[in-house]
Amino acid sequence: MTMRGSTLISRSSQYLLAIGFIALVTAILFSLREALDTTLVALLYLIPLGLITAYWGLGPGITSALVTFLTFNYFFIKPYYTFAVHRSTDIVILIIFLIVAIVISQLVGRMQSGLAAATAHEREATQLYELSTALAGLQDGLTIAKILAKQVQDVSQGETVELNITGTQSFAFRLPESNQLTRPPEWVVPIQVARGILGEIRLWRAAPALTSSEKRLLQTFANQGALALERARLAQAESRARVLEESDRLKSAILSSVSHELRTPLSTIKAAASSLRSNDVNWDSAARPELIAAIDDEADHLNMLVGNLLDMSRIESGVLKPKREWNILSEIVGSVLARMKHLAEEHRIEVDMPESLPLIPVDYVQMEQVFTNLVSNSVKYAPEKSMISMRAFVEGDSIHAVVSNQGPQVPQEHLERIFDKFFRITAADRVTGTGLGLSICKGIIEAHGGRLWAENIPDGLAFNFTLPLLWEGVSPQKLPMDTETE
Amino acid sequence: MNNAPHILVIDDELQIQRAIRTILTEKGFKVTTASRGEEGLTLAAMNEPDIIILDLGLPDMDGVEVCTRLREWTLCPIIILSVRDSERDKVAALDKGADDYLTKPFGIEELLARVRVALRHSTNRQGTQSKVIHAGLLMIDLAWHIVKCGDEEIKLTATEYKLLAYLAANHGRVLTHQNILTNVWDPADANHTEYLRVYMRQLRKKLEVNPERPQFLLTEPGVGYRFIADE
Repeated sequence: MTMRGSTLISRSSQYLLAIGFIALVTAILFSLREALDTTLVALLYLIPLGLITAYWGLGPGITSALVTFLTFNYFFIKPYYTFAVHRSTDIVILIIFLIVAIVISQLVGRMQSGLAAATAHEREATQLYELSTALAGLQDGLTIAKILAKQVQDVSQGETVELNITGTQSFAFRLPESNQLTRPPEWVVPIQVARGILGEIRLWRAAPALTSSEKRLLQTFANQGALALERARLAQAESRARVLEESDRLKSAILSSVSHELRTPLSTIKAAASSLRSNDVNWDSAARPELIAAIDDEADHLNMLVGNLLDMSRIESGVLKPKREWNILSEIVGSVLARMKHLAEEHRIEVDMPESLPLIPVDYVQMEQVFTNLVSNSVKYAPEKSMISMRAFVEGDSIHAVVSNQGPQVPQEHLERIFDKFFRITAADRVTGTGLGLSICKGIIEAHGGRLWAENIPDGLAFNFTLPLLWEGVSPQKLPMDTETE
Repeated sequence: MNNAPHILVIDDELQIQRAIRTILTEKGFKVTTASRGEEGLTLAAMNEPDIIILDLGLPDMDGVEVCTRLREWTLCPIIILSVRDSERDKVAALDKGADDYLTKPFGIEELLARVRVALRHSTNRQGTQSKVIHAGLLMIDLAWHIVKCGDEEIKLTATEYKLLAYLAANHGRVLTHQNILTNVWDPADANHTEYLRVYMRQLRKKLEVNPERPQFLLTEPGVGYRFIADE
């Protein structure tokens, strides 16, 4: 049964009830006719009239007033049972009665409809309040749309509500989701903001047709939704702007670090090469091989810096994909140490990697990079002749490797931050490097599904990392056995 | 100087061309240069050089493609130049028949060492391959299947010997994982790098003084292995 139908019925029943009430009052007064004065009857009649108008509104009120006028005349004014009036006072009474009845009905009725309007307004205000509370603080367009659709559905009692959001994050949302209606919607409200239309709300409700106040309310809902969506969009734009600002800050940090770091070896190379070229340095001078060695070393250093920058940008952009193969950790460490021979000759290096260690699925070149950076970091900070030790052991289904040195400890609050790009504890001009080495290590280890952290040990600093032993959930294949000797 | 070995350098960077030409000419080689792949292929066909030095990053065509096209008709040793972090290209070119590689920037000593190895191999291809290879105290007799360290004979398993013999026969050259696995094991095992790692460790334990710092059985990171023999 639709709302419209039930209103109709209650409307006509109100009229009937009003007339019935009047009939009842008339019957009571009629039974007391001999005891009551005509004027008193008129006054008593005003009571049901007031009540009727108060309960059922202006229409039944006025109708009752007219009916009462007739019954009063018919039953209580002589001659009885006619509409004729003989006494002039009775005419006056009748006219006054009619005027008073209509005035009362009108007054009470107006008050009633004012009250009804106030209630309706209050309900609308409550609904709006609920909507804006529900939407407050939401940052996600889809959630906003869902809540908006739900509220529109609740308020309108529609069959189906659909929300279409257009633009960059376009999506459509329907309530209830399974309802697929083929006919066009009965009412479409645009969701509009200053810069244009964000989308629209479509409402299917065949009957009763939307009243103008419902339309107005839905339009207000749409406006609220538009504001919430716009706010979410702005918040997103702001966080994007923050990210951009952060990356901008990073870029300028890179630029300043890079220009400083690259210029140092370049200056050495330039100075050495130009003095070799000029005739200042004799062919047999002892300075000659030294200058040449400086050029060679600094070129290598420059190459390493550029390599670090490349690695970092690769990690940043997420294109660092390990090319995994089954490897032996000690073989990787061996080739790193062989290559760093001249770098590490000021320190004692101890390697403890038992042969029983299983093969690990890692990118050989990237793991070389990790060990190279960790060792060169240790070499840089730890005092000469001190010990740099490397060991590895199995821990559950990962391998745990430790590179430790007897260098200075790192304050507890910086243990995490030393893996940040360009983070240094010492002043940049005291130790060379891009400040990228450790963050590259972290990037590589994490790309392998492992974890890298630093900890202070009693006599220095230790870098720890873990690497998974399984590759896509499997261990290396058992080797075909081969024991016969030649 | 008609007998001077002829080297063709295919690289689009003029500075590199100039540096290589200066040094190799100084060392008594005859040097021709090309800046583009097509030009290089034409010069290679016209001059039949003894060694080709090929940069993988050419403007007109892929270096690996140049390598493949050269290998269609010549066995001339090819040394690849590449930048760091292009292991994939390096390995692809080596698998397509290139003999060796150098990563830019490289020292000139490295280049000369590679050139010497390549020249020896191009002579070997003409049929005078030595059957006994010496590396420090090691002696590998490929004809009699004997491996000695000093006077002491070293016992190897069949696979270990096969692996060592293959590396030694190609001493000085870089051999990719896939190449070694295909030739020592089976083409079907070409992806089982773990076999190679384990056997290489065993070989190093038996042959090297310090297995963690090998002198003869060298790892080429991300590419393969190389056996260094006495010149």
